[in-house]
Amino acid sequence: MAGDIRPDWWSKASAGAILGLGLALSLVGLYAYLGPGGIDAPTGRYSLMRHLEAFVWIAVFGFCFLFRSGRAAWAWLGAANLIAFAALFACRFYFFA
Amino acid sequence: MVRADIVKLYRPVHTWIGITCGFALFIAFYAGALTMFQEPIARWAAPPAVGVAAVPLDDAPRLLELVAAAHPEAREEGITLHLRGHENEPARVTWKEDAPHQEGQPHEHVHWWATLKPDGTLLAKQEEPSELAEFINAIHMRAGLPRPWGSYFMGVVSLLYGVTLIAGVIVLLPSLTKDFLALRVGHNLKRMWLDAHNVVGITALPFHLVIAVTATAWGFGGPLWSAQESVIFGGKQKIVMKRDAERWRAPKPTGEAGVMMPPAQLLQRLHAQVPDFEPKVMIFRNFGDKAAAVKFVGAERGYVGDTSFGGVMLSAVTGDLVNDRARASRQDPDRRASTTIFALHTGEYGGITITWAYFFLGFSGAWLFYSGNLLWIETRRKKAREGGEVEQSRSTRLLGSATVGVCLGCVAGISLTIVSAKWLHGRVADLNHWHELIYYMVFLGSVAWAFAWGAARSAVHLLWLCAAATMAIPLTTLAALLFPALGMWAYGSAATIGVDAIAFVGALCFAWMAVATMRRIRNGPTDSIWSIRKAAAATPPREPIAVPAE
Repeated sequence: MAGDIRPDWWSKASAGAILGLGLALSLVGLYAYLGPGGIDAPTGRYSLMRHLEAFVWIAVFGFCFLFRSGRAAWAWLGAANLIAFAALFACRFYFFA
Repeated sequence: MVRADIVKLYRPVHTWIGITCGFALFIAFYAGALTMFQEPIARWAAPPAVGVAAVPLDDAPRLLELVAAAHPEAREEGITLHLRGHENEPARVTWKEDAPHQEGQPHEHVHWWATLKPDGTLLAKQEEPSELAEFINAIHMRAGLPRPWGSYFMGVVSLLYGVTLIAGVIVLLPSLTKDFLALRVGHNLKRMWLDAHNVVGITALPFHLVIAVTATAWGFGGPLWSAQESVIFGGKQKIVMKRDAERWRAPKPTGEAGVMMPPAQLLQRLHAQVPDFEPKVMIFRNFGDKAAAVKFVGAERGYVGDTSFGGVMLSAVTGDLVNDRARASRQDPDRRASTTIFALHTGEYGGITITWAYFFLGFSGAWLFYSGNLLWIETRRKKAREGGEVEQSRSTRLLGSATVGVCLGCVAGISLTIVSAKWLHGRVADLNHWHELIYYMVFLGSVAWAFAWGAARSAVHLLWLCAAATMAIPLTTLAALLFPALGMWAYGSAATIGVDAIAFVGALCFAWMAVATMRRIRNGPTDSIWSIRKAAAATPPREPIAVPAE
C-alpha cells in the first residue's frame, strides 16, 4: 500500500483549505443538532462551535497532505463533505421544517 | 513509525508556512506576551486624575445617587463602582455615554468619572482614559492592521500556523526519541539552534495548539458566525441566540422608585450567597428603580476562566440572587468548555504563576519564529555553498532584512509607545492617536532601516534601539520622581514598579543580544547574512550588500 505520495502542493492545500472548512461547518453543525440536548441545548454551545470548527479545519488542512495526490484529496474530502452536508441539511429540515 | 517520504513531504510545508507567517506570528506572540500584564501596563500609563478624592465605600451610596440624578443616561447604560482602587480606575464611579452619532459611523462612547468634593457635592468629568494597553492588545490581535482585514489576516495566519504545528511534529517524530532534549551545544551552531527550536516547540506544543485553534476561531469570528447562520441554522440562528442574550440581561425597569441597598451591604450579601466569588467591579443597572440590579464582575476561585464574562447578578434592592448562570461553576457544559479554551489562550487561571508562565511562553513562541527564519536562511547558505556559490542569494538577504526589521521594529515600537504615555500626556490633544502614530513610525522606520543597511548591521542598530527604548520605561519613571516639574508621575504599587523592573531586565537582554550580534557580525562565517566582513572576503561583491530602502 506504500505507494508514492505526490506532493501536489496547491491542489492538496486548496482541498484542505476549502473542503476542510466545509467539513468543519457540517460536522460541527451536526453536533449542534445531534449533540447532547439537541438544538434546544443551553446556548453555551454557540460560543463553543467556532472553536470546534477551527479545530476540525486545522486538522483536515494539516493532514490533507497525506493523500496520495491532489485528486485523491479532492475526491475523498469532497465525498466526506457531501455525506456530512446531506446529514446536516436533513437535520435542518427535520428540526426547522 | 512515520515513513521517510512523509517526513520529506511535510518538511517544506513546515518551512514555507513558517517563513511566510513567521513575521505576523512574532508580532502576535511578542505583543501577546505583554498583554499578560495588560492591567499593570494600564496602571503604569494612567495619569493621576486631577481632583479625584478617594471616596470610601461607605460614601458610595451618596455618590451613586448624585450620579443617577445628574446623569439619567448612565442609569440605563450601567454605573460602574470600582472596588480595587487601581491607578487606572482612580474614581470610585465611572460610566459610558453614547457619543454624538454620525451616519454611517460605528457607535462610539465617551467616558465619565465622578467623585465627591470635600463639601459632599458631585464632581463629574468626561475624560477619555489611556488606551495604551488596549492598543498593545490590538497589535497582538491584528498585527497592527486595521479591522476587519487585520482579523481575517490573522485568521489565515493562525490557520496556517496550526497546519505548520502538525507538519513540524510529523517532521520531528522519527528523530524525537533520539533528538529530544538533546541540546547539542558546540561548534555546529545550526545544529544547536535546531535542537533548541525543537525542544521549545515540542515542550510548548499544547500551548501552541490551543493558541492556533482559538486564534483561528477569533480571527475568522465574524465570517464563521455568518457561515453558521446560513449553512448550519438556515437563518434561524438569531432566534436561537436570543435565548443566550437573556442570560445577561438585567430585569426591565418597573418605573417605580426603590430604595437601594448600600454597596458594602450588597458585597456582604454576595459573599454570603456565592462565597468563592472575587468581584472587581459592581455594575448598577437602572439605579433607583425597584427592579434595579447589580452585576458583580470578577473571578470564581478554582476555575479556569476568570474572565470578565463571568458574573453574578443580585437585586440592588434586596440583595437576593437574580442570576448567576454566568459564573464558572454554574455554566452549562458547552459554555464551560468554551470558557476553558478561551482562558487557556488568555492564561486566565492559576493566578500569577500562570500569568508569568504565559509571559515566557509568549516570548518562547516569538523566539520560535525568529529562530525558524534564521535556520532557513542558514540552511540555504549551506546549500548554496555546496553548489559552489559563496554569495548570498537576493531572496535570502531580503528575508534576513525583513526578519530583523519586522521583529525588532515591533519591539522598539511598543516600548517607545509605552514611554510616550508619560512624556506626551497633557502635551498633545489626542494621546491615544499618538500611541498609534509612534508605534507605526518606529515599526515602519525600522523595517526601512533593515532593508537599507542589511540584516547584519541593522540588527545591531535596532537591538540597541530596542534596548534604549525599553530602558526608557524605567528611566521615565525615575525622571518623574526626580523632576516633578516635568508633570509626569510615578506610582508606588507593586504592579507599576513591576512594569519598570521587567522593562529594565528586558532592556539588559536586548543590550546583551546587541553585543552578541555585534561579535557575530565581526567574527562569524563571512558567507552568512550575519557577517559584515563579506566585502573583505576573497571575492569582491558583485552588487552592494545593502538593498536600498526603495
